[in-house]
Amino acid sequence: MNSQMEVLEVSKAYSGSERALSALQNITFGIDKGEFVCIVGPSGCGKSTLLRIIAGLEKPTSGQVKFEGKLLANPHEKISMVFQSFALFPWRTILGNVEYGLETQKFPKEERRRIALECLELVGLSDCEDMYPKQLSGGMKQRVGIARALAVDPEIVLMDEAFSAIDEFTAETLREEVAEIHQETNKTFLLVTHNLPEAIELADKIVVLSARPGRVKNILDVELDRPRDKDCSEFVQIHRDIFDLLKEELESSIVRHKIRCIHEFQKLHDMEGR
Amino acid sequence: MNSGSSLAINSDGTKPRKFLKGFGSVLWMVPLVCFLGAWELGARTGVLPSEKVPAFTAVIGTLYECFLIPEFATRILRSFLNLSIGILSALFVALPLSLVAGLRSRVDLTMTPIIMLIGALPDLAILPLMVMWFGPGNAAAIMMAAICAFFPIFFTVREGAKEIPHDYFHVATVFKTGRLSTISKVILPSIFPNMITGLRLSFDFVWEVILAIEIIASVMGIGTFIESSVSTGSLKYAFAGILAVGLIALSVDRLLFRTLESRIARWRE
Repeated sequence: MNSQMEVLEVSKAYSGSERALSALQNITFGIDKGEFVCIVGPSGCGKSTLLRIIAGLEKPTSGQVKFEGKLLANPHEKISMVFQSFALFPWRTILGNVEYGLETQKFPKEERRRIALECLELVGLSDCEDMYPKQLSGGMKQRVGIARALAVDPEIVLMDEAFSAIDEFTAETLREEVAEIHQETNKTFLLVTHNLPEAIELADKIVVLSARPGRVKNILDVELDRPRDKDCSEFVQIHRDIFDLLKEELESSIVRHKIRCIHEFQKLHDMEGR
Repeated sequence: MNSGSSLAINSDGTKPRKFLKGFGSVLWMVPLVCFLGAWELGARTGVLPSEKVPAFTAVIGTLYECFLIPEFATRILRSFLNLSIGILSALFVALPLSLVAGLRSRVDLTMTPIIMLIGALPDLAILPLMVMWFGPGNAAAIMMAAICAFFPIFFTVREGAKEIPHDYFHVATVFKTGRLSTISKVILPSIFPNMITGLRLSFDFVWEVILAIEIIASVMGIGTFIESSVSTGSLKYAFAGILAVGLIALSVDRLLFRTLESRIARWRE
């Protein structure tokens, strides 16, 4: 195994008041350098939890995450993140927001400014450096979020539903640009999403998680040429395959739930009958 | 600032409606002028008994006169210093407490009920205790101001700390922000608007009860100046003192709080 990042048998359970709730079970997969990996799954499958564990924001209950062969226990300065809520600091200008990560890494002022301006140019926001986040649209805010993540020159960029809070037209352009940035910078990207076409459009590899508790259902490689055409037959086929996988998963969990309800109903009925 | 632009009459401003619209920003002056005019007229004609209400112009004259007397200025300064020191000490204590309460729900559950309980007690009623503990004088006045100022600051900042989005802390962690830097770069800027609101509320409140504070603490400030002027029947001085207190509160509000708030408004969503 010489993956850049390895996720090894990661499980996560939350201790609730009545019983422990298992969110993730034995998640194992690897990510190669420069790969674009997407994690997809139905809502509540713990995919965001998995990303937060990789980011060092949460600790796994068991299992480990390795980055370049070393155990990852804390947030790593070569791993940065883009948030669904953008999470820009409203009191900082756009430039100030992009400089944030460089500031905590103690870059000199001039250097910070130069790098931040470069990153803003990369995401197409050259003239906005003195604006405040409230003056920007959602799509532009996320561009700033991406610029902030790129500014620290990370090896891996984590994206948590990064396109979900943006209107679809803007999201589509932004996805194309992220694909371009990925090609140009050759950084590793790890995107969590519930949007299948988005995952197929961007990913080299898709990790499909099952419904709660999240387990790796399948890992598939997407070997389509870029830029990808959403209407080509291979694209549609991959979409259908993953959809069937997840549908089966959802159905089985619905069936399980129904069966449980029937059992409980039966028990009640028996008790009353006595 | 924007009132200045609406004052400008359009180049084709011949229509009376547009003309009136241009003066919209000074309309607030009309009732004020009417009120002051009626006051002046009433006092001069004797409709208002002169031993109870001095004429407005006489009050203004007295106020001007007062500012030339060093004793008046020192009294104002003393009041201002006492109240400011009190408010700042309240901030010093309330800020860390409210941040901990707002950010750690367990601490909040433990600590906030008792603070609410004390806050619900009538402030003015517990003030005499301060005199008993600290003796009459500036220390008691400062303590009273601090107690009155504590609660607005505590509750507004606590609210602000509770509302800091979780993702802000995630950003801090992902970009490897240290503990102290998280306070200075994330928490303090987040609650800054709430802190200003809290300070403003406590400032307003403390100036409103300045008379009570100074009488109870027996401090030679502007509050007691008003009180002694009333009791010796020199009403012109009492009115001038009241006007001075009002003017100070207004100018601090405009010069300090409005400036800070307009700065905040530049970035606040």
